[in-house]
Formats: sequence, structure tokens, C-alpha cells
Amino acid sequence: MVELLIRLKFTLGRHTRSGTRWLTVLLLVGGTAFTWFLAVAAASDAVRSSLLMLALAVWAGSWILGPTVTNGVGVLRSQYFTLLPLDRNRVGLGLLVTMFVGFGPVMTLVSAAALAWHAYVSDPATLFLGLLGVLTLVVFSVSLGRLVFRGLGAAMHSRLGMEIASLQWGLIVAGLFFGWVAVQPAFVASGNLTERGFEGTAASVLAVLPTSWPVLAVDAATAGSWSAAFAWLGAFALLTVVTVLVTGRLLAPSVSTRGVGRRSRPLGSRVLEDRRSLLPDTPLGAVVGKELRSWWRDPWRGLELRSALYAGLFIGLLGLVADFPQVMPFAGVFAALIMGMGGSNMYGHDGTALWLTVVGQDRDTIRADVRGRQIAIAVLIAPPATLLSAAAIVASGQYWAVPHVLACLLVFTGVSNGLASLLSVVTVTPGVDPHKRVDANDTGDVQVQVWIMLLAVPLLSSPTLAVLVWGAIQGIPWIAVPVALFNGVPAAWLLGRVAHRRLESRLPETLTRIRYGKEIARRSLSTAGGGLLDRLERGALATNEEIKPTGS
Amino acid sequence: MESAEPSTSDVAALELDALTKTFNETRAADGVSLAVPRGTMLGLVGPNGAGKTTSLSMAVGLLRPDSGAARVLGVDVWTDPVGAKRNLGVLPDGLSLPERLTAGELLDHWGRLRGLERGLTRTRARELLQVLELDRAERDGVLVAEYSTGMRKKIGLATALLHAPEVLVLDEPYEAVDPVSARVLTAILRRFTDGGGTVVISSHVMALVEQLTDRVSIIADGRVLADGTLSEVRGTDATLEDTFVRLVGAREVGEGDLAWLNS
Ligand SMILES: Nc1ncnc2c1ncn2[C@@H]1O[C@H](COP(=O)(O)OP(=O)(O)OP(=O)(O)O)[C@@H](O)[C@H]1O
Ligand SMILES: [Mg+2]
Repeated sequence: MVELLIRLKFTLGRHTRSGTRWLTVLLLVGGTAFTWFLAVAAASDAVRSSLLMLALAVWAGSWILGPTVTNGVGVLRSQYFTLLPLDRNRVGLGLLVTMFVGFGPVMTLVSAAALAWHAYVSDPATLFLGLLGVLTLVVFSVSLGRLVFRGLGAAMHSRLGMEIASLQWGLIVAGLFFGWVAVQPAFVASGNLTERGFEGTAASVLAVLPTSWPVLAVDAATAGSWSAAFAWLGAFALLTVVTVLVTGRLLAPSVSTRGVGRRSRPLGSRVLEDRRSLLPDTPLGAVVGKELRSWWRDPWRGLELRSALYAGLFIGLLGLVADFPQVMPFAGVFAALIMGMGGSNMYGHDGTALWLTVVGQDRDTIRADVRGRQIAIAVLIAPPATLLSAAAIVASGQYWAVPHVLACLLVFTGVSNGLASLLSVVTVTPGVDPHKRVDANDTGDVQVQVWIMLLAVPLLSSPTLAVLVWGAIQGIPWIAVPVALFNGVPAAWLLGRVAHRRLESRLPETLTRIRYGKEIARRSLSTAGGGLLDRLERGALATNEEIKPTGS
Repeated sequence: MESAEPSTSDVAALELDALTKTFNETRAADGVSLAVPRGTMLGLVGPNGAGKTTSLSMAVGLLRPDSGAARVLGVDVWTDPVGAKRNLGVLPDGLSLPERLTAGELLDHWGRLRGLERGLTRTRARELLQVLELDRAERDGVLVAEYSTGMRKKIGLATALLHAPEVLVLDEPYEAVDPVSARVLTAILRRFTDGGGTVVISSHVMALVEQLTDRVSIIADGRVLADGTLSEVRGTDATLEDTFVRLVGAREVGEGDLAWLNS
């Protein structure tokens, strides 16, 4: 069975986009080369030991983040096997075995082999200890990666789990954006890394991590204390076994149904309750109400919203930790920016539910559908983002930042709100249809959306940013605030207008994109030329991965 | 009723005019033409993959045809979608809904979107949920995402009925619905046609179509093989199933086939 699963995995891998794959290969080869460079160039046994601890921790960390960041494409999902008459736990362990096949695990093995080298150079008698450590390390890293990925998926069944997943995502995003802020001073401070290695808190934190235990085992053996060596390695082996068993269980196809029995009313049913409804009795009111409820209740949408807030928070904290406190007041600004990305595939999130909009089409409904969504995300992100920044400003006492933060909040919220609505329509990418979702990233792939946001938001906000810089130099920073207002609001309005006109003219085509997949959607576009929006749509069709199996 | 539209009974309630759609290489619908007179119920039958869902999707505006036209009460679905969709109630097969609403909230949302007055939406929604036996789930605050397949069919049906359309197009409405609810559904559809409404349903179940509908269309490989009143289509055959098998072609299981099943 394992052989069959492995073959299936390669079949799936072939359908993964080559761009992502080459980047992965590049990172893996680069990482391996760097690991060995550190090991060989280290000035002493002690330095090599501390550098190895860092490298091994980074490898394990990459295994934790990798599958989540690359969207889990090419991964065999246990749901594929729910109906087969196989022992569930054996399928789980079998699936785990498939995780060790491929380029990633091989490069991890090659990198971890630096530990064997370390053992050999330190004291040839400890080589076998190093080799054992190498194998255990690979098993540990790979299974841990799967454990976290599945953990995220399993988490989506409960609110607490969603909260944890959001925290995790927030950390990932904050790390991607601002990790260098934290890492850079550490490197600067430690001077020549291969000369002196790590000292101080960083070293003691590193030594506690499980991935460092095999290194500690080798070091202990070199120092002649074999019992300590076996204790370290034994503890690590035990942890690895536990990880493998838990992962195997988690990977076993689950047959439980969702949401059995409910005791309380769903979130938001009171707030928007009909009699005292705050919302007008119009299509726009209808859409805003539906959207707010969905954002509050849907774990997948909650994940987008919460992780944006956490990411903003962590970016602010990273700035603080890294002695770069000027970042702190902008925590809310980052949250607003990231939330824009989270809203850039709203129709993909809704999946084929778009049919209701098609069937219920009336004179004003399409406009209401887009505007209602814009209003909902603005209502959801603007207050917490403002609050986050306000709290950060008060906590850090950096009141100078108030006009800057206000201007940025206004312009970024407006621009990214408008862009989100436009991208939701034009680059819509379906994931797994909503009522069949399991994993945290079962909503559509948004690579294209994120890249466009990263480029277009600063571009469309440039008038405000220019005035902000000019005003700061002139000593009149407040002048940027009205400019931001006249930049952000019209951007949201205009982009939203382009969005609902596009949706109106391509309403059934948009549904076809979601319902029948990209092969059939491509036929509704010319292969070249057309306006900017057509190009954008083709770009998304060519780039974003298809998670959904096609069919009617 | 719209007074501007021709309300003479010779305008078909729903008309499919040479609808054609090709997916990749397959012709899912190949010149499908049907005319459903007012006040009648049409059963669209055909084997799996015949093109029922594809044809009905094109007829109601969910899928743009490669060629051909569709009209609801004489109004073209593709040139005047707003006018045509006002008189149309649709139940598609297997699509999502706003999953994080309860049935009541969904109908409330739908009523507002369709421009119904709030009080009217309220009374109709309550009645629909009660008749379709979704009222308990509603009281418990169950979200559509947590509904069973049959319950999903029923809430879908409620959305199709809420604005009291003149034409109903239902894709496999009886699939996964329990026998008691099936009776309720039949009663609803009967009442609807008695009041002058028009219904199109697709189904695989011949017996059901035979006892329920006035008209039948048999479709296979994207082409309409027979179309007319029940007796016209049946002709000299004893049952509709015989006609179906005769037209679509039977795949008999011979003595020697699948012998390993008995071992
Ligand atoms: N996404 C798709 N890609 C390619 N071909 C498709 C797709 N969806 C449907 N088809 C093809 O269109 C044809 C008609 O399918 P359709 O869903 O209309 O059949 P149906 O009569 O509704 O079948 P069923 O009784 O199983 O619901 C089939 O041959 C099918 O293979
Ligand atoms: Mg069908």
C-alpha cells in the first residue's frame, strides 16, 4: 500500500506549478549548502555545536511552515481514502511514510548529516551517536511538519482551534514581513558568526529546543559523559516516536461529521435580529447582514480576519524586541494591509454559492453584492486596526506617530478595500466548495492576489505617501491626513465600481470559473490582448493553483 | 403579473431553443430545444451525464450557452436577464449556499435581495420552514453548513419558492429526500401547477416522473430523443421505463457476464 501511495504522491506532484517547485528546490539546496558551510567553517567544536543547533532548528521550522505556506498542494490528503476498506491507522502511518519521499526530506537528511560530521571531527568515537541523531532528526522534522499541518486542519472544527491557527498564521505572516528586523540585529551583534557562534540568551534558548538535543548528546559524549549523551539522545528518540504516533493518528482518515448538536444560538443572530435590525430593508442591507454573519461564524473567514490582527500585533512586538520601536505604532496599519489580502478572494471563499446572486439578479443586486462586501470588511477591520495602533502608541508613548498612522490607516484601508473587491471578482480562485472544507487552506489559492496587493497598494497610495514624507520634512505631518482621505475613499469607491461592473458583465462566467474549474473558464476569455482586467484574469488562471477537483 | 408582457397562453412558460454547450471535447448539450406550456409539469429524464444539469443551467442563466436561446414567459434569459429571472424559481443540483446562515436567516436575506416586503418574507419563510419540516433545526440555530443532503435540498427549494415565481426549474428535487418529505414536495408542486404555475424537474426515477408530470422529455448524449405529453412519449409501450430503455438503449446483463458475483 505504501508503494501505491508514494506513486500517487508523485502523480500529484507533477501537477504542481513548476515556479513554486523551483523556488522550493532553490531554497532547499541553498539551505543545505549553508548548513554545511557553517559546520565546516566553524572555528571550534563549541562554535560548530551552537551553529548546528541554529541550523537544525531552522530546518525543523521550515518543515512546520513549508506545507502551510505552499498551500499543501501535492500533499496526499487523508480524506481521499475515507471510503477504502483499509485500517484507518495503517493508512495514517502509510501516508506519513509518503512524506519521507521527495527532495525535501533528502536535503534535510544531507543537512542533518552535518551532525555526523560534527561528531566525527569532535571525537571519532562518537560518530555512531551522530549518525543515530541524524536519522532521528529527519524523522522528527518531517513528522512534526505533518503534525502541525494536520493540526491546523483539525483545528478548524472549533473556535479555539481557529484562534490557535490564526495565531500561527499571524506569526508566519509577521515573520515573512518583518522577520529580518529581528534576525538582523542578532547577526550584527554576534559579529563573525563562524568565529564566535552564539552567546547569551539566543544560545540558551536554542539549547532547550528538541532539535538541539542530538547535538548536546554528541557534545556530552565528546566530553566523556556517555550517560548524559544517551539520556539526551534517548529523550529525543522518545519525543520522535510520540510525534510519529500522534501524526499517524491525525493522518488517519476521519469519518466524524461536523457540528453534531448545538446548544447556543450562532454568533451574531441577536445583534442583527430582525425587529430592531440596524440594517436597511434593501439588497445592500441584505448583503451586509449576510457578510457580517459569515465573517463572524465561518472559521475560514475568521482565520483571515484574526490572523491579520495577530500579524499586525506580532509585527509591532517584533519591532519592540528588535530595538526598532518606531514600527510599533504601525501595528494596526499592517493589520489593515494584511486584511486586505485576506479579503482578496471573497467569491472564491463563497464557492458556488454565487448561484444565488446569479438567479436573484435584479437591477441593483450586483452592485449591492460588491458594495455590501466592501462595507462588511471595512466595518470589521477599521475599528480593531485603529484600536491596535492606538494602544501601541499609548503603550510606547510615541505620540509623534499619530498623524502618520492616521494617514496610513485611512489610505491603506481604502485602497486595499477597493482592490480586495476588484481582485475578488477578477482573479476569483475557488478552493474546496464550502460545505466540503476540512483543512485550513481549503479556500482558494491567492498567490496572484497577494503579489498584486503588495505592488498595487503602495502604488495607489503614493500621493498620500509622498505628501506624508514631504510633510514630515516640513514639520507639518498632519497635512497628510486629509490627503489620505481624498486618496483612500475615492480609491475604494472607484475600484468597487469597476468590480461590480465587471461582475455584472461576466456574472455567469464568474460562476463557471468557480463551478467548472479553470480549464472551462479559460474558454470564455480570448487567449491574448483584451483590457487590463482580462489580462489579470488570465494571469490568475495561469498562476493560482487549483485545489478543487473539477466536475459539476 | 407584468401587464406589458404578452400574457396569451400561446407563449410557452419556458422555452429552450437549440441550446448547445461543449465542455472540452464533450458535447454536454447539442441543440436542446424544449417548450413547456403554462400550467404544466415537465419531467426531464436521461441517464447520468446526459446533459440535464447542463441544459437546465443554460435555461435559467447559470451557464452561458455556446449557441441557442432560452426564454421565460417570452423574455429572453440572456438578453434581458433581470426581466426573465423575476418570474423564475431555481433549484440547482449540488451547489453551495451561504453556509453560515440558518435557514431563517437565509430566507430573510433572500427576501430582501429579491425586494420583498419584510413582513411578507417573514410569514412566507415561517410557513415554508414549517411545511418543509425545517422549523426544528431553525429553532436550534442549526447552520446550513450542518444540514444533511436532504435538508439542503429542502432549503434550496424554499429559496426557489419564496418570491412566488411563475416558473420553477428544479434539478433533481427528489434526490436524497425522505419519503414523507417527498410527499410534501409533490403536494407543493401539484398546488403550484393547479394555480397556473409551470414546473420543470429533472430526475432518474421513471415511476416518479410518470405519476407526477404531464409532459416528458427524454434526453441522452446532449440530445432530446422524445418530447411531448406522457401518452405521446409512451406510445404503445406499457411504461415510461420501457420507452426510456428502448430509446436510450439497454445494456442487458447476459448469462455469462459477472459470473464471478455468484462464486
Ligand atoms: N466540469 C466539467 N468538465 C468537463 N465535462 C463536464 C463537466 N461537467 C459536466 N461535464 C460533462 O457534461 C456532460 C453532461 O453533464 P450533466 O451534468 O449535464 O449531466 P446530467 O444529465 O445532469 O447527469 P446526472 O444525471 O449524473 O446529474 C457529461 O458528459 C459530463 O461529462
Ligand atoms: Mg445532473
